[in-house]
Parts: sequence; C-alpha cells; structure tokens
Amino acid sequence: MNTFFSDWYYLSIRNIKLIWRPLLALLPPFFMPIFFFAVNSLSLSALAQVPGFPDVSYKDFIAPVAIFTAIFFSAGNAGIELVQDIQSGYFKKLIIMPINRLAIVLAKLTEIAVQSLGQGIIMLILLLMWGVKIQSGFLGVLAIFAILTIFAMAWSCIGMISALRSQNARLVQSLFILVFPLLYLTTSQSPRDLLPSTFAKITDYNPVTYIIEGIRALVLHGWGSPDIVYGFYAAGGMFVVLVTLTLLSFRKALK
Amino acid sequence: MVSKSSNIIEVKNLTKTYPGGTEAVKGISFNVREGEFYGFLGPNGAGKTTTINMLVNLVKKTSGSIKIDGVVLEDSPDEIYKKVGFAMQEVGLDEVATAREMMQLHGRLYHMPKIEIDAQIAKLLKLVELEKVADKFTSTYSGGMRRRFDLALSLIHKPKILFLDEPTQGLDPHARQLIWGHLRELNKQGMTIFLTTHFMDEAQELCDRIEIMDKGKIVTEGSPAELMKKHSAKNMEEVFLKTTGNTLGQEEVNANAPDPFSRSRQRG
Repeated sequence: MNTFFSDWYYLSIRNIKLIWRPLLALLPPFFMPIFFFAVNSLSLSALAQVPGFPDVSYKDFIAPVAIFTAIFFSAGNAGIELVQDIQSGYFKKLIIMPINRLAIVLAKLTEIAVQSLGQGIIMLILLLMWGVKIQSGFLGVLAIFAILTIFAMAWSCIGMISALRSQNARLVQSLFILVFPLLYLTTSQSPRDLLPSTFAKITDYNPVTYIIEGIRALVLHGWGSPDIVYGFYAAGGMFVVLVTLTLLSFRKALK
Repeated sequence: MVSKSSNIIEVKNLTKTYPGGTEAVKGISFNVREGEFYGFLGPNGAGKTTTINMLVNLVKKTSGSIKIDGVVLEDSPDEIYKKVGFAMQEVGLDEVATAREMMQLHGRLYHMPKIEIDAQIAKLLKLVELEKVADKFTSTYSGGMRRRFDLALSLIHKPKILFLDEPTQGLDPHARQLIWGHLRELNKQGMTIFLTTHFMDEAQELCDRIEIMDKGKIVTEGSPAELMKKHSAKNMEEVFLKTTGNTLGQEEVNANAPDPFSRSRQRG
C-alpha cells in the first residue's frame, strides 16, 4: 500500500476506536435531539394546523432537525480529541514520524464520517419507531446521510481549527453553543412563509437552512425538489471552505 | 560494541530566537559520537528542551546547522525521523489505547512489516517489563509504567539515536533505577543516547560525556571525571552549581518562550 494511504488507513482506525472508547461517550449526543424532538413534536404539533403550514405532521417536519443535532454534537468531538492529543504530547509524537501530514487531517475526517453515519442510523431508527416516514425511500435515506456526513466533516473542522489555534479544551468544548444560532436561525421549527420577514432574511444567509431544507425535502416529499441540490451545495461549500482552512491551520501550526 | 569515533550528531552555531525576541539558544556547537551516552544538562530555562526539540525538528531553528547521522535536518526530515526516537518530558500516551495497540500503530506509521512490528513489541515489552499489562489501557498505568512504556514506544522503529528529555522526572527511586537499567542496556547494545536531566546523580551515573548549558550557551564539557577535576568538585552537582550559578533571571525569560504544541510543559 502507498505510504500515504497506509498512514491515512492506520490513523483512521486509531481514531475510529476513539468513538466507542469509552462506550458511554456515545450516549450524550443523543440526549438533546431526542429530548427536543419529543418535547417539540408533542407540544407544538398544533402548529401543523396553522394556515400556510405544509400538509404534513409536525413530527415529520422537525425530524431532520433531530438527526442534524445528533450529528452536530458528534462532529464537535474532533476538536476536543485534537486538544487532548496536543495537551498530552501525543500530537508531537505523530508529527515527528515519517508520515504524511495530510493523512492526520483526513483520518480525523474519516472518524467523523464513520461516527456521523453510525449515530445518524441510530437516530433514524428511533425516528422511524416514533412513526416518522421517509418519502424518498432507501435512496433518500442514503442522500440524507450523504448531506449530513459532508456537513459533519465540515463542522468538525471548526473544532480542529479552534484546537490548533487555542489548544484550550474549554474553548473548543464550548463551541457546542453555536448549535443554537446555527439551528434556530433557520427554518428548523417553522416554514419560511410563516416566519417574520426579518427573521426569514436571516435564515437565507445561514447555510444550515439549506441543509435542513434539503433533508426535509427528502423526508416529506421524495425526489424532485431543488432543495435537495441546495442542501448538497450548502454542505459541500462548507466542506471545501472549512477543510481548506483546517489544512492551512495545520500547516501554520507545523511551521 | 560501537567504536564511539564518528560523530552521529553534529551541531554548529545553533540559535533559536522566539517571536518576541527571547533568545533561548545562542549559537551553540557540539558533536555527539556514535554509541555515546551523552548528557545535556542545565538549569530550568537554560535552553535544553528548545535544543532537543530543534534536533528532532519539533522547533525550527533560527540559524546554524544540524546534521544527524550524516543527514542535514532540513534536507530530509523524514529520513531523520526514522533514525531517531524521542521520549519527551510529557509522556503523551493515547489513554484509550492499550500498549500493544499503540506500538502496533506506531510500527505501522513507521512503515514496518507486521512480522517485524510483532517481534519488536515482544522484545521491547520484555525490556521494560510490561508484558503482563500490554493489553490494558495505558490510562491504567502508574507514572513509572507510563515512562517505561513511553521509552519502549520510542524504540519501536529501532532508532540509531534515542533522545530523552527528563526521562525520570517525577519517578520514585525504584522506578528511576529500572529506567537507568533499561538505558544502560540499550547503550550497551550500541544505541546513541542523548539525555537531558535535572538529576546530577543520573548524569554522573549514566553519561560518558556531559555538556552543561546555561542562559542559552554551553558553559563546560567533558566526561564526569574530567568535569569534576576541572572544576575541583566532589560530584556533578557541585560542578553544576559552580558552572551555572544563579539562573532564576533566565528561567523567567525562557518561561515566556512559546512551545508550538503544548502550553503546559516545563522548559529545560
């Protein structure tokens, strides 16, 4: 095997093991999405009766938010793990080995992709058990995971950049609060037509809006909506920008 | 037994000035011979850790030249990484991996064949007497076990030179003796060892030759016996005190020097 691919592979295996070690660390990312999904789908179900709301149940409407939130929290782990590696000195060990530096970043992204898929599947099973229906079928589920995995890898870069810049676990850990502006300044809780105009304008500038709406289109309507393509564009755009910034941060840190 | 005639580390006019103007290393030159057990001593903030970090390419030098086993550091760092092992001040273990897993991973990252990795793991775990806990998470190890394992890990790829930065820091006398025994054994097998330490008895006990650094410069050099004779001292501690004097001022200066990948470590 080419040494680049071999470095990427073995570092990825090491990182993937971090996902379930310790096993209990798998649970917290599910708490908030399940809690909010349960509370909102029960307490706000009457919103679906408001004129202008699409002809779907409220729980189906907010199902994409639950999967998104679970993956959002998992993606934040990349930065925390990187800070731990830096603070313990393990990162230094890696960089004085004859390994490809790009493989270190790619292995982190691979870990996040695997974790997102795993947690996404568990969250989806829970939602299906709750009665949520995916109109786009099995291929739609694959598309949902594709959008979310690309987003998760992109979001993990925010944590990694912060880790490299600050080397501070508390700061990196506190990034989870960004879930609130990113998720709630979108159409996550209500369709755009029912939002006040200023709020609706803000959601237009939030890339997460397009990711949520892309997934929502797959859940509620099946194939054919342009929102699906916009969802891929938003996740892909974030991926390109944030991975580039992460690589630049790595290069700067190694200098 | 290695002849100890040719130089395996050649350092000329090495300097390091950190952003902000802190001069941690001020134009030092020295050579280390192949198979030598070489001690690099100095008070806190003398520039030892900065020097050792420059030798393994963790910190970029400001000027001067470093040649390791005939290879200029900046020409081919990957080739240097294969030749050196480094047990750092901070042990830096993967807390949720077992010793065996970590050694396997490191062997793979040094692109060694599996059969060779397995043989090295067995040999090194035996050397540091950790065979029985090889499949336990490293987070369960005591301080001494962690140091010994870190030493074994730094040897997985059969380096020619072993750099050790305060390898017995924080260990009890029994654990120190164990580490000393392992180091003597490795040196007897021909490995060049570059040691920085605060413990003068350690340096006197282990090293063939010692350099003492203070305020970024080398202040004296020789075998322990030569140094004691030269400075009319009874032991290395006396040599150290006579050659370095009061260094608190420089310690404070160097404490401000940035370390690219750790904010918490102590500098030497």
